[in-house]
Amino acid sequence: MVAALLQLQRRLFCSKVSQTHRQQRQWSVKQVTKSNFKDSLEEFSTHLSSSDFIAVSLQNTGSFNAPWHRVSPFDTPDTAYLKARYAADRFQLLQFAVCPFKITDGSKVTAHPYNFHLFPRDELNLGMPSYSFSCQPSFLTAMARQGFDFNACINDGISYLSRAQESVAKVRMGNPIPICNFMQSSTTPPTVADSIFKERIKSRLKHWKHGLDNSSMKTEEALVSSLRKLISGFEQYSSRPCITIDVCSDRQVQLVIEVVGEFSDDLVPLILPSKGGEVQSVRVVLTSSKEDKDLLEREIQNLEYNHNQKVRGFREVIDLISASQKPVVSHNTLNDFSFIHSKFIAPLPPSLNEFVSSLSMVFPSIFDINHLMKETGALEKCTNLFAAKSYLKNRFFVPIDIDVQHQALSNEGKIHGQNVVRICQLFAKLCSVLRITSTAMELGNKHVASGLEGYANIFNSFSRRPQEPVDGDIRVWTKSPRKASCEDLVFLWGFGDRLSTRMLKGLLQGAHDIFSEEFDVRLVDNSCAIVVFWQSGLAQSFLDAMNSDKISGSLRDMVSEGLRAVGYGTYKRACELGLWEVDLADSLEKAMDDVDCSDKSDSDTKPSEIYWCNDLMINLDDL
Amino acid sequence: MTSFVSTLTRPKSAQAISLTKTPLTAVHHAAMTTHKRWPLGALRRAVSRSFSSSSSTASTTTDAASATFPLKNVTRSNFDSVLSELRSHVRAADFVAIDLEMTGITSAPWRESFEFDRFDIRYLKVRDSAEKFAVLQFGVCPFRWDPLKQSFIAHPHNFFVFPRQEIPLDGQSYEFLCQTSSMDFLAKYQFDFNACINEGISFLSRRQEDEALSRLKLGLMDSWQGSSECTDFPLVRVADVLFTERMKKKLSEWRDGLLQNRDGGLQYQSHSNELKQQLQTVFFEMRPALSLTGFTSHQLKLIKMLTKKHFKDLAYVHRSNEISSQELVVYTDSESDKDLLMKMMKDDHRKQAQRKIKDAVGFRHVVDLLSSESKLIVGHNCFLDIAHISRKFLGPLPPTAEEFVSSINKYLPHIIDTKILLNADNILQQQMKRARTTLSSAFSILCPEIAHGSKSSILPHQPCVKVEVQVDDLRSSNWNSGAKHEAGYDAFMTGCIFAQACSHLGVEFSPSRNLAQNEKLQKHINLLYLTWTNGVIIDLRTGNRIAESLGANLKKFPPILFENIILIWGFPSKLKAREIRECISKVFGPRSVTAIYHIDQTAVFVQFSKTELVSDFLTLKEVLEKNNDLITELHPLSKLLEGGNTGAASYEAYKEICSSPIAKILFADQAEAVGIKWKTKLLVPQVEVETQEHASSSPESTAKTESDVAGESETAKEVGDSEENNPPCGRFMNGEKNNPPYRRFMSDKIIDSLFADEVKHIRTVKY
Repeated sequence: MVAALLQLQRRLFCSKVSQTHRQQRQWSVKQVTKSNFKDSLEEFSTHLSSSDFIAVSLQNTGSFNAPWHRVSPFDTPDTAYLKARYAADRFQLLQFAVCPFKITDGSKVTAHPYNFHLFPRDELNLGMPSYSFSCQPSFLTAMARQGFDFNACINDGISYLSRAQESVAKVRMGNPIPICNFMQSSTTPPTVADSIFKERIKSRLKHWKHGLDNSSMKTEEALVSSLRKLISGFEQYSSRPCITIDVCSDRQVQLVIEVVGEFSDDLVPLILPSKGGEVQSVRVVLTSSKEDKDLLEREIQNLEYNHNQKVRGFREVIDLISASQKPVVSHNTLNDFSFIHSKFIAPLPPSLNEFVSSLSMVFPSIFDINHLMKETGALEKCTNLFAAKSYLKNRFFVPIDIDVQHQALSNEGKIHGQNVVRICQLFAKLCSVLRITSTAMELGNKHVASGLEGYANIFNSFSRRPQEPVDGDIRVWTKSPRKASCEDLVFLWGFGDRLSTRMLKGLLQGAHDIFSEEFDVRLVDNSCAIVVFWQSGLAQSFLDAMNSDKISGSLRDMVSEGLRAVGYGTYKRACELGLWEVDLADSLEKAMDDVDCSDKSDSDTKPSEIYWCNDLMINLDDL
Repeated sequence: MTSFVSTLTRPKSAQAISLTKTPLTAVHHAAMTTHKRWPLGALRRAVSRSFSSSSSTASTTTDAASATFPLKNVTRSNFDSVLSELRSHVRAADFVAIDLEMTGITSAPWRESFEFDRFDIRYLKVRDSAEKFAVLQFGVCPFRWDPLKQSFIAHPHNFFVFPRQEIPLDGQSYEFLCQTSSMDFLAKYQFDFNACINEGISFLSRRQEDEALSRLKLGLMDSWQGSSECTDFPLVRVADVLFTERMKKKLSEWRDGLLQNRDGGLQYQSHSNELKQQLQTVFFEMRPALSLTGFTSHQLKLIKMLTKKHFKDLAYVHRSNEISSQELVVYTDSESDKDLLMKMMKDDHRKQAQRKIKDAVGFRHVVDLLSSESKLIVGHNCFLDIAHISRKFLGPLPPTAEEFVSSINKYLPHIIDTKILLNADNILQQQMKRARTTLSSAFSILCPEIAHGSKSSILPHQPCVKVEVQVDDLRSSNWNSGAKHEAGYDAFMTGCIFAQACSHLGVEFSPSRNLAQNEKLQKHINLLYLTWTNGVIIDLRTGNRIAESLGANLKKFPPILFENIILIWGFPSKLKAREIRECISKVFGPRSVTAIYHIDQTAVFVQFSKTELVSDFLTLKEVLEKNNDLITELHPLSKLLEGGNTGAASYEAYKEICSSPIAKILFADQAEAVGIKWKTKLLVPQVEVETQEHASSSPESTAKTESDVAGESETAKEVGDSEENNPPCGRFMNGEKNNPPYRRFMSDKIIDSLFADEVKHIRTVKY
C-alpha cells in the first residue's frame, strides 16, 4: 500500500515536471545570491512598499522520512503542528521565493518575484545558523531535475541568522553599542556611592581631556605619538582619542553616561559589552567639533548597519516583510511558517498556541491558499498548485492578467521560483471567486480587508475554521462525508505485516461484537492502522475489551499474537514527546511506556476533532 | 553529456587562483589564528599546491605526457564500462587504496571525540556518524607492481556516489544529514555537488537487497510493478459509470468481432475515431490483444476492473521494459490459456523486478569486488571509512564494536591503516614527528618525488618508490592532479604512502607474492585506531583493544577513572567550570574533584577522587531537590541546581545518551530527548569498570591534574604545534585522518571557565 503510494508520488511528480516543460512560458523571476543581494534588497524594499500582498514559496531539503510523519487528515491542529515542527527543525531551506504583488481592478496582478538562494553558512564563525541539516535524496534529485545548481547554492547562497541567534551573536562578538541603543530608564534616587563614583569619573575625564588638550597643541611625530600612546595608555577610536572606563553594573553605565552628558558636548560614550554579554566598560570618545561628533555618530551607525546586514543576511528580507505588516500568502502556511519561524525568528515553541501567537507578532496576517481553496467549496484534493489551478480553471471563469515587472533576464535554462508567481495568480483568482478583492484594495496597507479577515491565520489546512461550532464533529471532505471525533479513533498495530485495509477490516469484523457496528479502517503505515467507530463510545468499549481479562474469541487470539490498541491520546503523546520512530507502532509503544506523562496529558482531556479523510493525501509539495 | 564531463574536470585554473590568493589569505589568517586554526593548513596547502604545479610544469618539458590529466571520474553514465575495467585492475592489483568523502563528521558538537570517551562510547560516536551522514565520493586506487619497470602502476578512480532511492524500500524514505561546515569546506575545494546529485551512482546495501528480494518472493513487489490485485471499488461518479459502460461495450464488440472472424482475420473497426486511436489491435504473445493508449490511470483501473468482472476470456496485462510500458487487454482461448498468460506475465514481472534490484545494487559492486578479491585494502586512519562502508554496503551497524569488527573482518579480511604503519615504526615515526601523520603531510614527506617532484627524501637511504599513474590510455610517472580532498586523489596519496612505508620496512614487491600475507606486514595488518585521541587500537581479527603505549608521559597525568566520573547537564548557563568545581569542593572537600571537563556549554564531566563520591553526590542532589526549604537555598550546591533543570548521572548514562539516534545540538537537550526521566541517575556499569590509560602520543590530550589548575597553559605550545593544517570539520576524514588528536579539546581550558564564546572558540579550533 505504501509502496503504491510512493509510486504514485513518483508518477505525479513526473507529471509535474512534464507540465512545467509543456508550459514554456516562464515568468522572469529575479535570482538573488550573495553577490547581488545588497542591490536586490533595496529594489525589493521599494517593490514591497508599493504592493499590497506578499506571496512566499519555499524549497526545502525534505519533509518527512516515514509515512506517518507527514501531516495526515487524522491529525488535530496540535499534532499537525508538532509534525511540522519536527520537519522544520531538521530540514533546511535552500530557496526562498518572495513576491510582493498587488491586484488592481480585480483581475490585474502586478508582481515582482524574487528567488533567494540560501545556504546556512557559518559566516561569523559562531556555529550558527545551523550546525547540520537533513536532506532527503528525493528532494535533492527533484531539484536537480529542475536544473538547480547546488554548487552555486553552497558557494554563493545567502546566509542568515534568526532573531534569536542574532541577539546571541551580538553578545558574543562584543561590538561597541552607541548609547541610543542602551536603555535609559531607571531613575532611582542617587546614593552616596553613586555621587562618589560620578565625581571620580568626572575627575578622570577632566585629567584625560586636559592631558589631551596639552599634547594636541604640539604636533608630534608619528613615532613619538605612538610611543606616548603605549606609555600613557592613551587609546584611539577611529583616529579620535578615547578613554575606556571600566564599569561593573548597569547602574554605573547609567552614571557614566550622565557624567559624560554633563561634562562636555564633544564626548561620545560607547558601550562595550563583554564576551559574557554584560556591559564591561564604557568608551568615551573625544570629538573635535559638533560636525565631527555628528560624523562619528553616523560612522557608528553605518558600522552597526553594515554589521547587522552581515549578521542578518537574508533575514533582512523577512524583517522588511514583517515591518511592512502586509498580508503574506503561502500555499501551505503551516509548513512554510514553521520553517520561517524556526530559521528566521526563533526556535519553534512547544505548542501550536505559542507558535501562533509568536508568529502573529511578526506576521499579523497570513493567508493559506489551501484553505481559501476549500472555501470555494473545493472538495477535490487540490494539495498542489497545479491541481488547484486546474480546478479553478474548470469551475470558474476568472481571467487574471499577470504582469511581472522584472526586466527580461538573460536566462540560461530554468528560472527557479516560478511557484511564487503561481501563488499570486491563484490568490487573485480565489479573491475574485470569493468576491473579496475589491474591498481589499481600498483599505490600504494597514488593514486587511474585512472580507479577507475571516480567512487569515488558519494554520492547518485540515482543521476547522474558528467560526465553526466547536462541538461540530468531523466533516469529511472527500468522497464519503462522515463525521468523527478523536474519541472515536483507535490506533491498532501488531496485526502482522502487509495486510491490506480490506483484509484487516475483514479480520476485525470477525473478531469482536463491537465490530458488527459500523467502523472504518485506514492504514497509517506498514505497521499501524487507525480505526474510526462511527458510533460514539464504542472506541472506549473496544479499548476496555482489549484490556479486560474476559477477552475471548478470535480477538483473544489476535491479542496473543501481538495486537495492540490505543486511543488518540497516546498518539498525541507520542507526537508531544517527539517519539518520531520510523514505525508509528514503535512510537506508540514508547508513548505507552512513558507513564509519567500519561497522567499529565490525560488530565487535559480537551476533546478535539479531526477531518476524517478517506485517502491518505498525497501532497505534491512534499515531493 | 559532454557538458557534464567538462564540469567534472576540475578547472586547472584553480591552482592559479590559489596561488594568487595566498598572500591575502596569509594576512587574513594571521589575524585570525586564535579563532580559526585550519586556514593555516589551507595556506600551506595553497603554497604546496602552487609549488607542485610549478614543479609539474617544469617537468612537463622533460616528460611530455606528464602530470596534467585528470583522474578517472566515474558517474552513473560511465559506471558500467568503468566497472568492468576496474575488475581487471583490482584482480591484478597488489593492494587497493581507498578514501571516502562524506557530508559531515559529527551530528552535534558534543558528539565529537573527547579524551573522556571510553572505547565503547567512541564506537557509538563513530556509529552515529556513519548512520547519519552520506558518502558523496568514493576513491578507489588499485596499485600493481610492475617488475620490469620496477614501479607501481596506479589507477586512481573517483566515484561520485549518491544515495538515490532506485527502488522503493518499504515505504520509508532515506534521509541523511549534512554538516554545514563540511559542505562549505567541500565547496571551497570545488567539490561538484551537481555531479553528485545528478549523476552520482546509487547503491543498495546487502541488507536492502535481501529485503527487496524477499519481498519480491512474497509477491509484494507487485504493487510497484503495477500489477497489484485489482481492488473492487464501487463506481461513485456518473462519469465512471458511463465510461465503464462504454468500455464494456467496446470490449465485447471487439471480442465478438474476433470470434466471428476467426477465419477471416481481424476486422474489428472502431466506430469513433477517437477511440480507434486509443484501442489498437495488436498481437501479444501470439494472442490478439487490444493496446490501450491515452487513458488516465484511473480509467485504466476501471478497464482492468471491468475486464476482470465481465470477461472470462479477456485478460488485462501490463507490460513494461526499460523503454516503455504498455497496457493491454489480451484475448485468451480458454481458462487454462489465461492462467498460462497470467503466469507468464507474473514471471516476467518478477524477472524485471529482480533485474531492477540488481541494477539498484549499483556502486556496491565495486565494494563487493574488493571483498571478493580479498585484496589488501589500504586506508589512512580509516576506522570511520570502514564504518561507513559497513553501514552503506552491508547494513545497519551493530551495537558494539566487537560485533562490528567481526562482521567487517568477514567482508574485508585484510585492511591496513597507513596511520598505524607510520606510528608503529620508530624511524618513520621520528621522521613524521617533525610534521604530522596527516594524509597530505605524510604524502609530501614520504613521497616528495610524487608530491612535488623533489628528489630529496627524508629517508636518505631509502630510494623513493616509483609510482606510475595510468588513466585510460594516459600514463605518467610524474602525476599530480593537485585536487586534494577529492576521494580519488586522496586514495592515490594513501597508496603512495603505503608503498613507501613498505619499502622502508623492507617488504619486497613482486607480483607473485601476496602482500596481505607478507610476514613483515602481519603485525600491522587489521589494526585500526578506534580513537586516535587516546591511542586505542582495535584488532579487527579478534576485537581486542590495544592501548598504544609510548610510555613517556604516562605518569604525568592522572588516569581517567570512568567509575569516578559524573555527568552534569542543564545547569545555569552562566556557571563556569571553576564555579562548578568550587561548588562541589565546598561540599565534598577541596581535593574531591580531580578534573572538570566541558562536553559543551550545557554539560560537564566531573571526575571525583573517590568512586563513592559519585553516589554521594547523586544522593545529596536528590535530597536537595526534594526539600525545597531555606537550607536547600543556602546549600553550596544550590548554585548548581538553580533553575531546576540540572541533571546528573553516572558515566553509564553518557553511553545511553550517545547510543540514541536523536541528534540535538546541545547536550542538555539531548539528555532530555533521550528521555532520561530521572534527573539524577546512578547506573551500575554494565561494562567492567576499567581505567583507560592515557598512553597516547599526544600528552596534551589528557585531563589536567589539580596542580595544573593554577592556570598556566603550558600545553598551549603543544596544541599549537600539533594543530593541523586541516579545516575544522572539513571533509570527513580530515578530522580524523590528518589530525593527531582529532578534536583537540584544548586541555588548558578544561578547568578554566568556559564562556559561550570560548566554547565556540574550541569548536572552531577543534581536533
